[in-house]
Amino acid sequence: MAAWLAVLVSSCGPVVENAPFSARPDTLRPGDLLGPFDGLVVDGETDRPLAGAVVAGAWAFERGIGLQGPAAALEAVAETGADGRYRLKIPADLPRGEGVRLRRFTLIVYRRGYVAWRSDGIFPTGEPRSDFAQQGTRVRLEKWQSSMSHFRHLVFLGGGPAIRAAVAWEVQPAGLELDGASPASASERPAQAARVGSSSALDISPLLSEDEVRGVTGYAGKFEVGKLADRATSDVYDSRHFKASDKPETHDVGLRVWAIGSEAAEAQFRKLLGDLPSAVATEEMGDASLRARGGDVTGFAFLLREKGVVMQLSCGLAQCSEPSMILRLAKLAESHLPEVKLPSPESTGLLPASGPALAPGGKP
Amino acid sequence: MKRSSLLARARFNLAALMGAWAMFSHPAARAYEPAPTHAGLTERAVEASRLHQVLAHLGRPLGLLEPLHIGLDLFDRDERRAWQARLDALDPAGGYRPGPDGVQGAGEWVMAGAVLAKTPPERGANHFLDPATGKGLHDDPGLSGLAHSLRLLFDGGASVRSLAAGTAFTLEGKSALDWIWSPGNDLGVPAFLDNWERAISLAEPRARESALVRALLALGGVMSVLEDAGQPAFVRNDFRGAFLQRDDGSAYEQFVAEHYGRSGLPAAAAPVSRPDIASFFASADGKGLANRTQRRFFSEGTIPADVSIERDTKVADVVRRARESLNFSSPTLSLLVLRPAQSRHYLALEGHRVLAYENTGTQVRFFLDDAVYADMARTLLPEIAGYAAGLLNHLLRARLEMTLAETSVTVRLGGEVKEGGALRVFVEDGSGRRRELPGNATSLAPGGEITVSPPAGARKLAAVLRGRDAGGSFVAADEVTLP
Repeated sequence: MAAWLAVLVSSCGPVVENAPFSARPDTLRPGDLLGPFDGLVVDGETDRPLAGAVVAGAWAFERGIGLQGPAAALEAVAETGADGRYRLKIPADLPRGEGVRLRRFTLIVYRRGYVAWRSDGIFPTGEPRSDFAQQGTRVRLEKWQSSMSHFRHLVFLGGGPAIRAAVAWEVQPAGLELDGASPASASERPAQAARVGSSSALDISPLLSEDEVRGVTGYAGKFEVGKLADRATSDVYDSRHFKASDKPETHDVGLRVWAIGSEAAEAQFRKLLGDLPSAVATEEMGDASLRARGGDVTGFAFLLREKGVVMQLSCGLAQCSEPSMILRLAKLAESHLPEVKLPSPESTGLLPASGPALAPGGKP
Repeated sequence: MKRSSLLARARFNLAALMGAWAMFSHPAARAYEPAPTHAGLTERAVEASRLHQVLAHLGRPLGLLEPLHIGLDLFDRDERRAWQARLDALDPAGGYRPGPDGVQGAGEWVMAGAVLAKTPPERGANHFLDPATGKGLHDDPGLSGLAHSLRLLFDGGASVRSLAAGTAFTLEGKSALDWIWSPGNDLGVPAFLDNWERAISLAEPRARESALVRALLALGGVMSVLEDAGQPAFVRNDFRGAFLQRDDGSAYEQFVAEHYGRSGLPAAAAPVSRPDIASFFASADGKGLANRTQRRFFSEGTIPADVSIERDTKVADVVRRARESLNFSSPTLSLLVLRPAQSRHYLALEGHRVLAYENTGTQVRFFLDDAVYADMARTLLPEIAGYAAGLLNHLLRARLEMTLAETSVTVRLGGEVKEGGALRVFVEDGSGRRRELPGNATSLAPGGEITVSPPAGARKLAAVLRGRDAGGSFVAADEVTLP
């Protein structure tokens, strides 16, 4: 009898709970947790379709009577095309087994420069969302505001590997927010906090000039020189962005410098080595160096352990057409390092390292 | 056909009917989602604690955001299989499921531990604690236990063999305080202490990182158990009323999941400070989370029984009879408003509604509704996260401080501990491999220090101290990079 029941039950797919969302935005008919799901991702201001948004759907299965817990999970990922549309099919391999129930489906949409969108909540309050439907959802992505918290955004976002990869750049600013915002940090290390708070921002402008870049690469055009936009200058971090006027990003050069004390600098270098695309360790400069390559951008970074400094250069291949060029730029930058006022080592020793970014433009 | 055969056939049909009923009788309700609630509470608690600073101190500069690898290939085969299955069950949308590479942030590992503490869900039977008696979930042998066992059988939570052997969940469990120390709990306090120490002492860097992940998972597991001490059903031995009346679990937990989700939970109250681990849960001074929850709130199955009334029934009689039906001395009933009109009233304690009641004309009916749940959640959720943050700080209260001088390193025991412990010092070479310095398993008292001369070629020194004081066992660690 038990064996008969076990065969019968285990051959069934999961019980599917009622969906908390409707089948379409204009109907009261309940949707289906299994899907399929489709919709349109648009810019919240212009209402224009957004291409390149990562769309991740997750099906969560649970089991248990009374006390319930996770039993299985599935995820499907898509990316919006030029028309901004996404479509997720009903998953093929549904988990089987006694008592397994599909309890929820969650859709997450993320595109850099915008606030993440979840079908079950709204950033930053987390209040429940009511405008999600199985099909025909218009996902309106709001522009990211500089006053928003990257840490809270990461906590809100969740998501599997594809979302994590797309949002990896936010780990760096989130880490700094977390460290600066922590009352425990201030109370545990008041002296350090006071030093960091009162010191001036790091300024790396002496490290590399437009003429030096031109001299190395032979580029005849103009640059607009500013800072990379992916994180703010602080006491321990600064950047330079040589943006080629009227040229694509492949002509840009970026320079990032962390002056964070020897231990954190070492960790930061290891992080770059682990996270930058196609990064390989070299012994060309400093105590350690690396080369990386992602798309049309080449990267070079090196560690100066004693000074507690990590420098990272990014250069578009239209600018750095030969591998030696980026190395020469790095050597020029190092030669000017004595002209930069670095923070005292004891004020930097415990500050967090930062996540990688290879794009010279460093756009958010 | 023989009579016995007919009887057997009838029995078979009846059994098949029961089986079909068990399979298809689950009401299609909105999801009850303990996973998002535990994950969210744990995240709030972690953020309020000093875990971020402690990790940064231990050479993990990104602290809570530091990517860490679980290294399942380092586990033995059975353990690896079991952990893989549990991790694969986690919802990717929750933000606490590692990628296929086994990597996620340190804070995410703690959240994962909080959810895995109830994966499989039967583990939750060990999260109950009556602070007055110290008992866990218990149930008299009877029909409800049998019925639950049968339903578990059909639900896949038990097998015929496990039911026969008594190993399936049958409304009994260890008390929460026994469970967090149980050798059978891979997410308990011993697992945290052992792995926190191994995260310093193991030779290979991958193995140390893997041990750190397991320590963080265990932290989440312990926090999950404490968080349930802020759920009235768990501190009022109320499995039957709170969890079995509806197949989709506790109505209160479902309310919290639907209204707050994972990311909408309120921020933690200030981290609570308590003298030892047990007193975060329950203590004679009544300041344990289970004490506070039990005396202030009802659960679905421990509200007063409905009281039949007649025209001349006095309010005092209703109050007395309702009180007599209570299993716990508090909350108690003092004054009820019983006008003939069938309007809903609330019993309020300390400014929050804890019980709803109505005079139907023939009886006074007691119940919990969304207004009560809303007040419970508003009061309890920040408090739970504050207790969990405090417990985390308590477990991390010991601190080693290593200071590099010209040719030597000084190791000092600081933090809030009152007793010392056994200190071990390790030297790390350029490849990240560590070995213990011989003769260094020495005792170190609070405020005391020893000086170590690193051998030539050493790249790092690391130290770990394991001890015990009135607050319980602790592990302190630090490491320093050599010039």
